[in-house]
Amino acid sequence: MTNFIDYILGGFSNGAVIALMALALVLVWRSTRMVNFAQVGQAMFTSYIALTVQQSTGNWLLALTVAIGAGVLLGIVVFFLVIRPVKNSDTTGAIIATFGVLIALQAGAGMIWGGDPQGFVPPVSSSGLEIGGRVWPISLYDILVLAVTFALVIGLTLLFTKTSLGLSMRASAFNPEVARLSGVRVNRMLITGWAIAGATGAVGGVLIAPSASISPNSFDILLVFAFTAAVIGGLDSLIGAVTFGIGTGLVISLVSGYSDSGNAPIVALILLALNLLLKPDGVFSHHGSRSV
Amino acid sequence: MLEIQNLSVSYGAVQALKSMTLNVPRGEVTAVIGANGAGKSTLMRTLAGLVKPQSGEVTFDGKPINGLKPEDIVRMGIALVPEGRSTIPELSVEENLRLGGLWRKKDERTAAKQRVFRLFPILEERQNLRADTLSGGERQQLAIGRALMSDPKCLLLDEPSLGLAPMIVTQILELVSQLAKESDIAVLLVEQNAVTALRVATTGVVLNLGEVVKSGPAAEISSDEELRHAYLGY
Repeated sequence: MTNFIDYILGGFSNGAVIALMALALVLVWRSTRMVNFAQVGQAMFTSYIALTVQQSTGNWLLALTVAIGAGVLLGIVVFFLVIRPVKNSDTTGAIIATFGVLIALQAGAGMIWGGDPQGFVPPVSSSGLEIGGRVWPISLYDILVLAVTFALVIGLTLLFTKTSLGLSMRASAFNPEVARLSGVRVNRMLITGWAIAGATGAVGGVLIAPSASISPNSFDILLVFAFTAAVIGGLDSLIGAVTFGIGTGLVISLVSGYSDSGNAPIVALILLALNLLLKPDGVFSHHGSRSV
Repeated sequence: MLEIQNLSVSYGAVQALKSMTLNVPRGEVTAVIGANGAGKSTLMRTLAGLVKPQSGEVTFDGKPINGLKPEDIVRMGIALVPEGRSTIPELSVEENLRLGGLWRKKDERTAAKQRVFRLFPILEERQNLRADTLSGGERQQLAIGRALMSDPKCLLLDEPSLGLAPMIVTQILELVSQLAKESDIAVLLVEQNAVTALRVATTGVVLNLGEVVKSGPAAEISSDEELRHAYLGY
């Protein structure tokens, strides 16, 4: 029983990062109705930038801020250079193009920063807290990760539900034609969606970096988990992405704890397959059918 | 107000509109009627900027609007209520309305919303519900309300009777024609349901296979038996 509680507690912070990546996928899906498989590549690249900033200044907050800015820029650049030209003729082509972007980003990062994994020093202690004479599997850093994730999710929810920009973005996602006829500049909303997704992914990347160490491929597995969470959550639901992101984190922690961490991706894919068999529209979706 | 001159539109090899000329004056309803495939929706979508014309010119208040984007055309004062489901079911009634005037100043927006609520009181009652909980008639009122949030000088209504009970259609169209007179708006109404459309319209235009076959006072057109048999099918 103690093990069980430990595994659950240990899964939360990992789950929070998966939730952020899943959120980024959902934000892109909402704006352009496609999955951006380069999202983790963008997050990897911005994490390297954060690492560089941290190594030269020692300031974690500055590193995070720079990564967010870089995430926004990278999102916009990828959208303009690759997605928009391709998507005009073919959405499937654009989705495949995101794989191309992923590979290009990994190759680019390898050339700039080298292929060896590099450590990322967390801003606060990442060793388990000792409370009541027992070391718990949750650290001060895990609490920071959860707090940042929580704040970001609340911020995004308020943005989407309370602001004019949020309403414009939702309308553009649900019905671009009616949005345009209402005066919304839909193209700008698509770019904004990619930019916010880039920023969200960047935050996720910086948060996971201390526990994953950074290499050009170190976030690949995160894509499997985030994609699973986003799809099970319904692909266009923020709350679905967060719920199942954290849920996936807990499942991974349990699977790794009771068997072997190598089994976690397989379990994620089994969950994804079950979801597509039993409830293909996702749990939180209120839409009709969709295609990935 | 809205002047259409020699407007031609084609989709590939299919010519949907052939050199159409029409003037839509303010303060009244102009009805374009015709069977399925006559080019009615094409006309509306072209005027709203969703479809690019092949040739011809459209001017609004003396300014050409050819080639402008839909989001700029609505800012000039032309609002389209497109055919069918033109509300967004995932948004609340209030959000659907707010969407119609997001680009405007806040006080203008509030005033416009008050006017819409006065015109369609049911929308105020239901403002916090999701749009997909509304009945068909209420949803059409919401769609028109959304368009009115931009305080248009010209309102384009594409087939508002679609899927609605005849009594509700009459009610909505009478409100629209009253609105045209009171607010001095130019209303262009496109309908398959010729009887109801001609009842509220001042001028009627019969469209067949992309060409204007006849235009004149609405009463004259509805009493022209030959025309009715040939093009309107009743």
